[in-house]
Amino acid sequence: MAEQAAGGMNRRTLVKTVVLSGAALTAGLPARALLAAGKAPETVRVSFFLETKPTMIAKGEGWFDKLSGSKCAWTEAGSGAEINAAFAGKSVDIGLAIGSSPTASGISQRLPYELVGMVDNIGPAEEMVVRKVANIKSVADFKGKKVATPFGSTSHFRLLGFLKVNNLTQKDVTVLDMKPDAEVAAWTRGDIDAVYVWSPAKAKMLEAGGELFTTYKDLDAKGYVIADLIVAGTEFSKAYPDALTGFLVAYRNALKMWQTSPDEAAAIVGKQAGVSAEVAKHDMEEYDFVPFEKQLTAEWLGPPGKAGKFADVLKRTADFLVEQKSIKSAPDLSAFQAATNTTFLAQAVKAAG
Amino acid sequence: MMDTPNRSRDAASFLLVRPRWLSLLSVLAAFGAWWGITTFALVPAVLLPSPAEVAAAAVDILRNGYRETTLAENIGSTLWRCGAGFLLAIVTGVPLGLAMGYWPRIRAATNYIVQFMRPLPPLSYVILLIIWIGTDNRSKIALLYITAFPIIASSAMAGVRSVSQQRVQAARALGASQWQVFRYVIWPSAMPLSFTGARIALAAAFSTVVAAELNAATDGLGWMVISASRFLRNDVIILGIILLGILGIALSALVLAIDRRVVHWRGIE
Amino acid sequence: MTEARAITQGRSRLPEWAITGVSVAVLIVAWVVATDGGFVDDLFMPSPSSLWSGFMDLVVDGYKSRTIWEHAGLSLERVLAGFVTGAIAGTVIGLAMGYNRVVEACFSPFVEFLRPLPQLAYLVLLIVWFGIGETAQIILLFLTAFPVSAIAAMDGVKSVSRQRVQVARSLGASDWQIFRFVVFPSALPEIFTGARLAIGVVYATLIAAEIIAGSTGLGWVILDAGRFLRSDYVFVGILAIGLMGLSLDYMLVAIEHRIVHWAGRY
Repeated sequence: MAEQAAGGMNRRTLVKTVVLSGAALTAGLPARALLAAGKAPETVRVSFFLETKPTMIAKGEGWFDKLSGSKCAWTEAGSGAEINAAFAGKSVDIGLAIGSSPTASGISQRLPYELVGMVDNIGPAEEMVVRKVANIKSVADFKGKKVATPFGSTSHFRLLGFLKVNNLTQKDVTVLDMKPDAEVAAWTRGDIDAVYVWSPAKAKMLEAGGELFTTYKDLDAKGYVIADLIVAGTEFSKAYPDALTGFLVAYRNALKMWQTSPDEAAAIVGKQAGVSAEVAKHDMEEYDFVPFEKQLTAEWLGPPGKAGKFADVLKRTADFLVEQKSIKSAPDLSAFQAATNTTFLAQAVKAAG
Repeated sequence: MMDTPNRSRDAASFLLVRPRWLSLLSVLAAFGAWWGITTFALVPAVLLPSPAEVAAAAVDILRNGYRETTLAENIGSTLWRCGAGFLLAIVTGVPLGLAMGYWPRIRAATNYIVQFMRPLPPLSYVILLIIWIGTDNRSKIALLYITAFPIIASSAMAGVRSVSQQRVQAARALGASQWQVFRYVIWPSAMPLSFTGARIALAAAFSTVVAAELNAATDGLGWMVISASRFLRNDVIILGIILLGILGIALSALVLAIDRRVVHWRGIE
Repeated sequence: MTEARAITQGRSRLPEWAITGVSVAVLIVAWVVATDGGFVDDLFMPSPSSLWSGFMDLVVDGYKSRTIWEHAGLSLERVLAGFVTGAIAGTVIGLAMGYNRVVEACFSPFVEFLRPLPQLAYLVLLIVWFGIGETAQIILLFLTAFPVSAIAAMDGVKSVSRQRVQVARSLGASDWQIFRFVVFPSALPEIFTGARLAIGVVYATLIAAEIIAGSTGLGWVILDAGRFLRSDYVFVGILAIGLMGLSLDYMLVAIEHRIVHWAGRY
């Protein structure tokens, strides 16, 4: 494959530069000069979510720029759907932390990108919050209630999965399409009984008379896994494999920082996202940041050339979206396997040692 | 302007001398009501920030900017997008509208497209523009252009068609050439309506600017408001609304002033 | 029309409807060639066949738990509710503003402020204040129509000729009579122009209104389909919303012709 050939050609120099620059980073030396050898584009156009995750460390500290050897042009996205549209309009090279459900719809529509890594497994970080006074104790209590979620998001996918698994229809439960900010507004007024969403909106509603109604364990077990992913335009990954690998290394370093010195990490993330370090730390603790080595196992994305179980998750997600009449059709599992390319992830692991 | 009926003149004659004071008074009253609502906590504080909080946000943004952009940059980008879309619409819409008014064949071939575009909500084709053009400034300007263009073309067409036949015939009888008829009869008569159209189009483009900055923007007042609402920063939202409102008033005033200077014969005919 | 033809010495043999027909045909052929010829991906522009199947799909199965007619009906209801309330309130206030400078001075800052204000900017505040039901959506449309109608009505009153008012007064007409028989009829054409403008802006704001806790309405259908890049549904939605907008406009013009039959006679 073209990616592998290109990767192989430069592997040695890449390993050297990345290791050196990693050392330079910790030593506080200018790393840019060391990378001059690698082939890198002038700018990398990244569409991202401003959120409380280690990605914000790598962004805030400039690691993404340094290790990809390019200047990153950051554009904030409001939803995965926006990132998909930007890819269709050829306006973006890397989509950072796009949800698994928009990714499944993007791959189904043959958008020119591939899945190159995972930011996190969402787990309990997106969850149902119910209003205490609505007195929802069991699944049956949801009948006749109003539940809000941002449509097209991973939360929406989980919520619909929740309804399906429990034999509820959208006639029993009113499902409303609301952005997180609108949800908080409506929640404060008491217009909605439950929401399925992420923080900071989730945290705000828990503070304002909400409690968790845990659904994720059951849903994850039944295949409604949701995750945040890194996708890269195929043209970009072919042309600049080193830059992409460097980008992933930057995220890996950020993950390491979160594992080794969480307080320092939380302080940087909090500053980036405009929340306190405590809030940032609490938010991040809810996510399962799967280490790169684990992502490369069959359990998740799989080793290069042999897509793991996550392709099945994407396929199931896409089938579900077809059922919902959101997308026209979903391709076979092989299409999702083909769209998973962990070459760069593997190189990033090797490069960092 | 029409004479005001006598009774009201007597009732408020001292205020009538300077009605602007009265305007100021009513704006102050609105601010007072806002202050009262927040001070006496008539609505939860999370929902409506107090004037003091908004003022603090304004000072903070003036000093430190909002998320790595200065206020001037944000106002500048919004104005630039708006202005570029609007001017493009003038440059293309006025000639097309004049042609549509002048030549029935051109009207027949294009008018239905213009009229179909006119009532379309801009948000309905935002996604298409992103897919077709991308997410950079061009697609944002294109959105504002499409909003303004049909309005301008329609009113320029209406302007030409409102020209009185007698005048055209009189000019011809006096031996005016096609060009002269256009230049000295049709153009001046079509100007007032074209300008009215331009004013409406600018207002329409301006009110679409937040929609344009909804997706993949990195600056602009609309972006500021949208981004603030993602983080539930109500103080910044209100500040943004106030700034957008003032900017809108300023833009309308500007176009009105240009209109008065350029189309000085408006209403004389 | 006749006067236009006179201006251009109408030489055209082809009737205008035929030219329109030819132009439509050219567009359709270009569309077919571009999409079915494989020059443009289905993602960017649906082919006629996929547009048709998308349309049939929406008509037969509906979109996400509602039929397409329900969606259209709900949108129409919202537009009319917002327009009628906004236009009536705006006209009343606008007449008062034109008639009385105290009223004008008090209201004009708000009317001027509201008119160009992008509706999306204050969407969240409306949810905060009015909730997520139909009320918030209709209030948004009301706030859009109101300033447009108010300014039109005010301009209408102000454009009434002074002599006529003086003549009426010297003939002994009361204030009410002057308003009823002189000012109002003269302002009516402007009021109608304002109404057409108002329904235009209300219509343009429809989708913004349906962002508030959506799941119903043509605007929401377009938004939701756009999220999944379903260009077939998006196009069907745009066509539907465009045709609906055009018919609303024609309806207003028809009403205007019936009521303001004296327009332009002064």
